Amino acid sequence: MHRYPHWPLHLALSAVCAAMLVPFYWVLKTSLTGENIFTFPPSILPEDPHLFFFVDVWYTIPFASYLANSLIVSIIVVAANVFLNAMAGYALTRDFVGKKAVIMLFLSCMMIPFQATIIPAYLITKELGLLNSYMGMALPLCSTIVCIFVFKASFDAIPKSLIDAARIDGVPDWMIIYRIMVPLSQSAIATNVILAFIWSWNNFLWPLVIIRDEAMQTLPLGLSRFLSVYENTTGALYAFCIMVLVPGLVIFLLSQKQFIAGLTSGAAKG
Amino acid sequence: MWWSILRSRYTITFGTIAIVSILWNIYVVLNDDGKFSGRVVDMQGRPVAGATVKLGKKSLVSINFHGEEITDAEGRFAFSGHAFYHVHIEAKKQGLGISKSDHHLYFRGQNMALSDPLRLRPEPKG
Repeated sequence: MHRYPHWPLHLALSAVCAAMLVPFYWVLKTSLTGENIFTFPPSILPEDPHLFFFVDVWYTIPFASYLANSLIVSIIVVAANVFLNAMAGYALTRDFVGKKAVIMLFLSCMMIPFQATIIPAYLITKELGLLNSYMGMALPLCSTIVCIFVFKASFDAIPKSLIDAARIDGVPDWMIIYRIMVPLSQSAIATNVILAFIWSWNNFLWPLVIIRDEAMQTLPLGLSRFLSVYENTTGALYAFCIMVLVPGLVIFLLSQKQFIAGLTSGAAKG
Repeated sequence: MWWSILRSRYTITFGTIAIVSILWNIYVVLNDDGKFSGRVVDMQGRPVAGATVKLGKKSLVSINFHGEEITDAEGRFAFSGHAFYHVHIEAKKQGLGISKSDHHLYFRGQNMALSDPLRLRPEPKG
């Protein structure tokens, strides 16, 4: 069998990777040099790089407070997603009357953008007394339909015989979920963690609507505030972007293997 | 089991971040007395005694000065107790000129000794 050389494919993929990484590199380079984005010709390599723009960001705005708020909300969202979505995903693997209707309802709800439901969401949060609180910020993201289906796909891939055996032994449903299904669905958990974390971390509109207290603001709101207050700080602005990006990037890189496995689990199921 | 938890990439990553943060904070606590020292020399590199040195924080529109010192016979000056992370320093002596410079610090009140002396130059007229 004739084998084609791999290098043209690798070369093309490397070129595409490089093209996709250029904006990230540019943000990183500008955060280290403060070079004006309109400089022509632009320097490819950073000239005289330093970390002082990161120091400026740390002290100019209450960055530590924004970071803590974002972390608290993200932790609540991630924990709630793993817990609630696992239960919902398990329910969808069982047979019950109206299962197809529930699935159809879920899928149709996915097509409604959050902006369309933001007023009722606000009113419900207000009635619950959760305006201007961490729980209020986390609430709309505590369970997401995509992540429920990720769990469902993962649970569907687990042999039914295993669950039947547990049921014959008298194991209750909640124990089947958390002792059998969840430990066998690590990739689904990783996918839930990554997606929930990134959605919560980048969430701008909802915190903007419900947060009034400056001390409760999260990083995306801080970035917006930073932009509106300090106009001529290219380096500091890009440093802020890097500081906002890094936690999500770290979480993704740590869990990418499980994340990809989680997204493709059940894909080849007949 | 403990060994596998310790070897996990999550433990290694977040553990390393925690250790670096702790070490950095210890370093900051040990070096944030706000000491800032240096020397003032003239155009020929000779120490200037009796020069007025001001230390402050420069913002977009103004300079908030923290204090003022007079250099000794060897042209040395030293400040302490400032809480700036971006320092503006001005040295001046009548007849010899002025020297201004800005220095970024890695944290508020970082102790710093200028490696290069402040060189007085005649003030531009007008």
